[in-house]
Amino acid sequence: MTTAALPTARAAVDRGSGPRSQGPAWRRRVVVLTFLAPTIIGIGIFTLGPILASILLAFFRWDIITDPEFVGLTNFVDVVADPTVRISFINTLVFVVVAVTLQIAVSLALAVLISQRMPTWARTFFRSVFFFPLILSAASVSIVMRYLFNEEFGVVNWLLSLVGIGGVPWLTSPTASAVVIVLVYVWQQFGFTFLLFVGGLASIPTEVYEASSIDGATGWRQLRSITLPLLSPTMLVACVMAVISALQIFDQPYVLTRGGPGDATRTAVMVIYESAFRQLEFGRASAIGVVLMLLIMGVTALQFRLSRRFVFYQ
Amino acid sequence: MHRQPEITRRVALGALGVAGAATVGLSWPRLTASDIPGRGEDVLTVAILGTSQDAAARQSLVDAFTEAHPDIRVRIQAIQGNDWGDFFSKILTMIAAGTPPDVVNVATEGTQLFASRMAEPLDAYVMRDAAELQEYFDDVHPTLLEAFMYEGSLFQLPTDFNAANMYLNTEALDSAGLERPPDDWTKDDFTDLLRAMRATNADDFVPYFWTNRLFGGLVPWLYVNDTSFLTETKAPGGAWFWDRFYPGEQRSGGYRWLESNAEDPLVAESVEYLRELVAEGLGTRPEEGGGGALVGLFASGRIGTTPAGGYWAQGLHEAGMDPDGFDVQFFPRWRTQRHQFGAAGYAIMATSERKDAAWEWVKFSATKPAMELAYPRPTTTPTRRSMVNEAFYADTGPRTWQVFYDTLDTFPTTSPIPAPPQQAAVETALIKNVSAAVSGSAAGVPGALAALDRDLTQALRRMS
Repeated sequence: MTTAALPTARAAVDRGSGPRSQGPAWRRRVVVLTFLAPTIIGIGIFTLGPILASILLAFFRWDIITDPEFVGLTNFVDVVADPTVRISFINTLVFVVVAVTLQIAVSLALAVLISQRMPTWARTFFRSVFFFPLILSAASVSIVMRYLFNEEFGVVNWLLSLVGIGGVPWLTSPTASAVVIVLVYVWQQFGFTFLLFVGGLASIPTEVYEASSIDGATGWRQLRSITLPLLSPTMLVACVMAVISALQIFDQPYVLTRGGPGDATRTAVMVIYESAFRQLEFGRASAIGVVLMLLIMGVTALQFRLSRRFVFYQ
Repeated sequence: MHRQPEITRRVALGALGVAGAATVGLSWPRLTASDIPGRGEDVLTVAILGTSQDAAARQSLVDAFTEAHPDIRVRIQAIQGNDWGDFFSKILTMIAAGTPPDVVNVATEGTQLFASRMAEPLDAYVMRDAAELQEYFDDVHPTLLEAFMYEGSLFQLPTDFNAANMYLNTEALDSAGLERPPDDWTKDDFTDLLRAMRATNADDFVPYFWTNRLFGGLVPWLYVNDTSFLTETKAPGGAWFWDRFYPGEQRSGGYRWLESNAEDPLVAESVEYLRELVAEGLGTRPEEGGGGALVGLFASGRIGTTPAGGYWAQGLHEAGMDPDGFDVQFFPRWRTQRHQFGAAGYAIMATSERKDAAWEWVKFSATKPAMELAYPRPTTTPTRRSMVNEAFYADTGPRTWQVFYDTLDTFPTTSPIPAPPQQAAVETALIKNVSAAVSGSAAGVPGALAALDRDLTQALRRMS
């Protein structure tokens, strides 16, 4: 078959009169819907349902035990007026900027290093090592880190004391605790973006590098003019996923600092959890959840919008 | 040539469908949760905070109950959680799911939450079986009962409690050339003791370790300074109970914590004292969470003093500490020597369809034989005075075990930790603002307490 024949065959299939046609259009639709039904039902029940219920609940006051009471926009007004909620959203956004930047930078640097000339066994080893933290439970990791970073008895401060650095209040100072949370989060998450970049780098044709070498391009120039532009679609996917994930950070600050000291490390999802499951204010928690959902949608849309300028497709 | 049988797509899809249907059929009990032990059976479900091992440890109690009540089957349901707040939220989730337990072991932290919304008052049962219960009340300090009164009704029979006493590391005392302090020691005596410990121990030694939480955190320092972060008042009522079981006792229908008291100058004074301890290197910047991890550190001699209840005795013993390796004393006096305590007991859920059976469990759990089965070792302090004795602490220490119950007898104003129905929101507000207050300079304390006042007012108003 020639490539010229493909459109014709495709059109024939689309019209339902080609060799793969199984009957009239309605029958094909039934078949398609039958195969899609489990997914559609699953998404409807387990994704769309809770989202719609949560949006609805945001207009009610409900503590599980008594009947829900319609309160209109009161929950949203409370949320906007609550300084704790405001601080938690600011914390979350600052965290996203710092953590995602660090995550992308570390992942990219390591992926480029791994993609250089390196024995296969070493490449496999590093891929496994870097990916390993991702398969661990964030809560378990955070519990261990809590011991490691304990100001009085932690290993980290003990090691620092060997080189003459005094006890750092890793988990009880606003700045240090934020640094610890970013480091723990990035350490655990960068393996995923690292693998994305390794895959993206592997898909760049070697001919492009060979041609540029003939033209005299060096390593840095190749990175800037070839690697990064051709990696930009992967970069977009990595950034979008990393931002969405970071906006939902919960485990690390919850276990390491419980949001403290003060509200220094309190995040938006922590406030949702505390409102719902500690303070029994499910309506208020839903209102915060709706605001967070809108924020995630807005940030993601913005990323795709900006990507038109920076993403280069071959 | 033998022809291979052809597996058509239709056959493959059919086989897949049959396999899927069979899998669903086989998994049906799991999918419908009908394989959960006790589900759908006529069993009295008792929820406790703990692991399945904790539930198994109470099997002897269940067996004894079943022997006394062969017609009532009991299932202990262990629910894991970081703290009581976690436990209570999981109970609420069970209620929302339509599978609430019949009986719940509730600590002071949740007493008013349960009493105000989901627990059954015990008044009628208590009066019906008054003669049988008199022996229990004769053995239990009345302040523990007052902690479980809410708006004039009784909701639990407390079976264990813990007051915030001061644990002292004997080795650290010895190295500082100090003796166990006297019963009426003061806050200044305590500061001097910490300074002496600091001067005579290694750099990585912590003279005073405290945890930022409701029990054993800031609150004991507020209580001994004759204040609290919430205004404490008492509910009317309860005469039906006091007149019958504790004649002569002038007690109330329960505690009320309705307003913030965070801007009381005495609160600021207490916070400033703790901040100074931190700044001087005598106390740690407090982390949040439980004190379980501290047991090993205390046992290894790296902590000099810490506030804790009788529950630490068994823990220190298991960590290898000799009965003479630690001591316990009352919390140091400031303007008063009022202590805080937390207690626990079983509450009957208002939704239970087995309330009479549930009451039998509650009543049985408060009997001395049952409490001896429930608390064979000093993992907590039994509420029965007769059980807190030399034999109970013989293996573990401390030698000064009398402190635990004497806290109630010696200081009549000793009272429960402030735990209104909005306790979770109140505790969150307290913890976050205390950590901010003691981690910075003195200039930051008023701002942190103003924030505490605002958060408490909001929490109390929002869920009232």
